[in-house]
Amino acid sequence: MSTLNVKVAAIEQVTPLIKHFTFVNEDGSLLPAFSGGSHVVVAMEAEGRTYRNAYSLMGSPAETEAYHISVRKQENSRGGSVFMHENVTVGMSMKITQPVNLFALSKLGHKHILIAGGIGITPFMSQIEDLKMMGARFELHYAFRAYQHAAFVNELTEKCGDSLHCYADSQGDRLDLNELLSSQPLGTHVYVCGPAPMVVAVLETARTLGWPESSIHNEEFTSPPVGLPFKVQLAKSGIEVNVPGEMSMLEAIEAAGLQPEYLCRGGVCGRCELNVLENDGGIEHNDHFLSESEKASCRKIMPCVSRTKGKHLVLDL
Amino acid sequence: MDRGYWIRSKPAYTSLTWHEKASAHLVLASGMGGMAVLKLFQQMQPAQPVTVLYEKYGQNAADYSEILQKVVPENLYIYQDDDLLLENLKEELSVSRMGLRIYVAGSEGFIWDVAKTAALFGVENYDIMKEQTDTLARTVYCVHCKAMNKNVTTNITKCTSCERMLFVREHFSRNLGAYMGLMVDVETPGEFAAIEEIYP
Repeated sequence: MSTLNVKVAAIEQVTPLIKHFTFVNEDGSLLPAFSGGSHVVVAMEAEGRTYRNAYSLMGSPAETEAYHISVRKQENSRGGSVFMHENVTVGMSMKITQPVNLFALSKLGHKHILIAGGIGITPFMSQIEDLKMMGARFELHYAFRAYQHAAFVNELTEKCGDSLHCYADSQGDRLDLNELLSSQPLGTHVYVCGPAPMVVAVLETARTLGWPESSIHNEEFTSPPVGLPFKVQLAKSGIEVNVPGEMSMLEAIEAAGLQPEYLCRGGVCGRCELNVLENDGGIEHNDHFLSESEKASCRKIMPCVSRTKGKHLVLDL
Repeated sequence: MDRGYWIRSKPAYTSLTWHEKASAHLVLASGMGGMAVLKLFQQMQPAQPVTVLYEKYGQNAADYSEILQKVVPENLYIYQDDDLLLENLKEELSVSRMGLRIYVAGSEGFIWDVAKTAALFGVENYDIMKEQTDTLARTVYCVHCKAMNKNVTTNITKCTSCERMLFVREHFSRNLGAYMGLMVDVETPGEFAAIEEIYP
C-alpha cells in the first residue's frame, strides 16, 4: 500500500480528551485530493510494535496544503490513541495511507441529515464543506456528554448556522430520532457516526419507519477488541504467528513481516478478508462486513478486528 | 440472441408485495396492473395509510376500477390517461415523507414514466417495487436523432422521427427509461433481417 510521508505541523488540545493534529507533506508539496467523509490510516511506531489507526480527515477537501485529524484519548485504549496523545510531537515525521472514502455523501440526495455522537463529529467536518460547496440542504445533529467535551462547536456554529443542532447529555437534551426521521421529505439521506448504541438506534429507527437501505449511511470503525492470546497458522507462508491479547491478528501478522491487504482496519471495508482453512469453531467475528450467514459458516475472517477463542486456526495466507 | 446472454442494464421485474416496514404506501397502476393491486390487497390490508392512483385501460383496455373501489379502503383515485396521473403523482410526492414505500404495476413504459417522475424527488428507481403487466412493448430511444419511440413490439422498428430502421437492443437506460435503438442497415442499406413481433 502506498504511503504518504508527512510531518506534524501543529497539535492543538481541543477538549480535555481530544487533540487536533495537522499534517503537511514532508516534501512541502500539496497532499492528494480527497472527498468529504474520507479517512487515512496513521502508522505509529511505538516501542516494539506498530499501531495503525484510521482517522477521518476533517479539513476542507478544497484545501490540500494540510490534512487535519482529531483523536480522542480512549479510556481502554490498546495504545494507539494514547500514543497519539503522549508521544506525537510537532515536527515529527509519520507515515499515513492515501485517503479512502467509505462514508461518501450521496450526490443524488435532495437533503442530508448528519447525526454525530461525540468524536463521531470528525467525518462530518469535511462533509459539511462538500455540502456547502454543492449548495445542498442539510442538518447537523450533534450529541455529546457536555459542552466541555464537545469539539468544534464554535467552528460548526460559524459554518452551519441554523443547520446545527446540539444535544448536551449533561443538560438533559435529547435527540428524538423518531420525530426527526419521520418528518423528512422524500429524497433525504441520513448519515450517522458515533458510539455503537447511537448508530444502532439510528439504523433501527430509520428502517422501522420504512427508509430504504440506500438512504441510510453509517460509519462505525471498531477498534480491535482486547482478547485472549492465541496462535494462528498461515498456510501459504508456512509460519505460525502468536497473537498477544492486546494486539489484533492483522497487527501480529504484520509484526511477523508479512504485508497483507487492508484499508480501514476497523471491520468495515472488507479488504483484509481472509479464508479460514481450518478452525475448531471458536471464531469471534467483530466486524460489520460479513453477513450473519458468512459469520456462522466460519469460512472467512476479518483479521483487523476478529479473533479466536479456539485452539486451532489456519488461514489461507 | 445467444443462450445465457444477459445484460445488467436490463431491468428485472417482480410481483408486488407489501413492505413490512413503512410509514405509508403509494401504489401506481395502469391497465392490467389493477390486478397486481388486487393481489396486493389479497395479501393484506396494511396497517399504514395507503394511496392508490389507477389509470384504467392502460395498454390492454383493462379496467379494474370498479373492483378496486370495493377493495381499496381509502385514497383511491381513478384516471383515464397517464398524464393526469403523473401530474397528481408529483403533487403526492411533494408532500410525502421518508418512510413512504412506492409500488408500480403496468407496462414497462408506465413503470419508467413513474420512476422518472419519482427521481425528480430524489427517489431512486431501485427503491420502487415494480411489476410488469399488459405488454412487453418497449420504449426505444433512437441513438441517432434522440427521439423516443413508444410501444415498440418488433425486433426492428422504423424511427418515428428520422425514419432510420432501428435494431432494438437489450441495453436499457434507467435514466431515459428506454432501450437503445441503433440503425440496423448502416453497412448494407436496405438489407436487414425480417421484422418480427417479439415484444407483444
